[in-house]
Amino acid sequence: MTTNKATIAVRPLEKRRPAGRSLMYPRRRAYQYAFALPAICLVFVFFVLPFVANAFFAFVRWTGYSSTLTWTGLDNFRLLDQVGLLRHAITVTAIYAVTAMVVQNGVGLALATALQRTGRVNSVFRSVFFVPVLISPLAAGYIWAAVLDDHGPANAFLSAVLPGDFHYAWLGHDTSALLTVASIDAWKLSGLVTLVYIAGLNRIPEQVLQAATLDGAGAWRRFWSIKLPLLAPAVTFNVTVSLVGAFSALDVVFSTTAGGPGDATTLLNVAVYTQYGQSFFGTASALSFVVTLMVILTAVPMMSWLRRREVPM
Amino acid sequence: MNTNAVRTGVRYLLLTLFAIPWIVVPFWLLIVNSLKTEGDSSVLSLAWPKHFNGGANYRTVIEQGSYFLGLRNSALMAVPTILAVLLLGSMAAWSYARSGSRPLRFAYYTSALSIVLPPAIVPTIYVLTRLGINGTQLGYMLVIAGTRLGVVVFLATGFVRTLPHDFEEAAQIDGANRWQIYWRIVLPMLTPVLFTSAVMLIISVWNDFYFALFLLRGSERATLPLTLYQFASTSTHGVSWNLVFAHVVLTSLPLVLVYAVLQRRVLGGLTEGGVTG
Repeated sequence: MTTNKATIAVRPLEKRRPAGRSLMYPRRRAYQYAFALPAICLVFVFFVLPFVANAFFAFVRWTGYSSTLTWTGLDNFRLLDQVGLLRHAITVTAIYAVTAMVVQNGVGLALATALQRTGRVNSVFRSVFFVPVLISPLAAGYIWAAVLDDHGPANAFLSAVLPGDFHYAWLGHDTSALLTVASIDAWKLSGLVTLVYIAGLNRIPEQVLQAATLDGAGAWRRFWSIKLPLLAPAVTFNVTVSLVGAFSALDVVFSTTAGGPGDATTLLNVAVYTQYGQSFFGTASALSFVVTLMVILTAVPMMSWLRRREVPM
Repeated sequence: MNTNAVRTGVRYLLLTLFAIPWIVVPFWLLIVNSLKTEGDSSVLSLAWPKHFNGGANYRTVIEQGSYFLGLRNSALMAVPTILAVLLLGSMAAWSYARSGSRPLRFAYYTSALSIVLPPAIVPTIYVLTRLGINGTQLGYMLVIAGTRLGVVVFLATGFVRTLPHDFEEAAQIDGANRWQIYWRIVLPMLTPVLFTSAVMLIISVWNDFYFALFLLRGSERATLPLTLYQFASTSTHGVSWNLVFAHVVLTSLPLVLVYAVLQRRVLGGLTEGGVTG
């Protein structure tokens, strides 16, 4: 907060020197362009150009069977809708993303609250809970597919503590498969979310919490009334990033259900891969365009929020 | 007994209880079954192996699962790409932070946006085809660089803005050229933020499956995640948990080993690295 104020105070000075912030750089900025150029080229050719082109390819008929691209408006989307793919994939992706986001942030926030203080035991717990972040999402999928197998340890545990013999196929039923795969995705990332929350909690001034304790606020009250509201930036960041990330999920599905049972876990990006594999490049682009739209609709509020907090250039 | 000690005890107990299903069971299942025979591993029990078959399993993975090929490909592509991204990203960040020019500001915001916006894979392949590098390592590395630069640019630009100009000006007066100022003054000051960026890049690039799946053609170019996927998906190994697990262990090993050595710095860097801005 203090840095923001400081920058605002300095601003008029900058305005008097629009060419740059320092006396040493007068109007010659060629070197600045030279330093930024390689990065700019890479980002523009391999990110921006494809990104913009996608908004075009989504509306053309383009398959591997003919070399001509014809503008067909919304035909790709209509076609995908007629075969029952579009709406299903959007719904499934949305449910997947929300599930992953809730699990990731629930676990991350709980762990961060428990592990906020720096100490020897907490450091051990922190490094243990971080290990899933390091392994590939594919590996995470294989491991959990085994844990949740009909005869795996999860069902064995349930059979031991509950009456009856459990051989539930977690990945074999539509809804449970979708929720399970999303949770595996969340498992892999929750260690990272935890660190962001710890950083957020560490930023809360100690005096505020002490004052609340003096006023008689208990641990719960301090968490709900002080920590959580002051944690808002970290929450917004984590929630948005986890949602946006899960919109483009694919890896865990590939190593667990491969889109099934039936099409229960056919997320948008999984469908993109299938369409692409069948050389339907136009419809693949259309599906990927839908991912982009979902991301923008979620990310724009976040970006505007981030910018409000950003130090002005 | 004082209530604080009780509370701490309860907290550790709850954390341990949570860690058992969350961490211990999955990884124990993974390691212990990678040492069993195929028959024993098929029941997916947590028991210690009755017949130790670890040597044979890991040998099979190395011989049939093209482990070392994948390891070499991953290293040869990930390491230069990450180094290039750190270098080019920090160079650009220095310019973005020190310049008020409109085009550079636009370039900065575009790079920052590329962190959240999903890359468009089909047109990416189209661009690579037009450049004649579709399916090649070079194409893959360029796309990874183009899509990951945003993170470095975003973090490093924010960091440079907090640095005073004095050092750069002093070096300028001493007769250093722009490159020397960047290399000797700016880059060393960026070490903490570049370390944080490097950690994030290594985790995402080393484990990348999405781009590798679409952009790398031919098994001789496969990275570790691709060799794992191909190995696990071939029908002969589809149900051989012992072999799939041995491959998972070997695939995860490089990063876990590095982490074992650097964990304190990794966690510190990610917590204090200002990922949230």
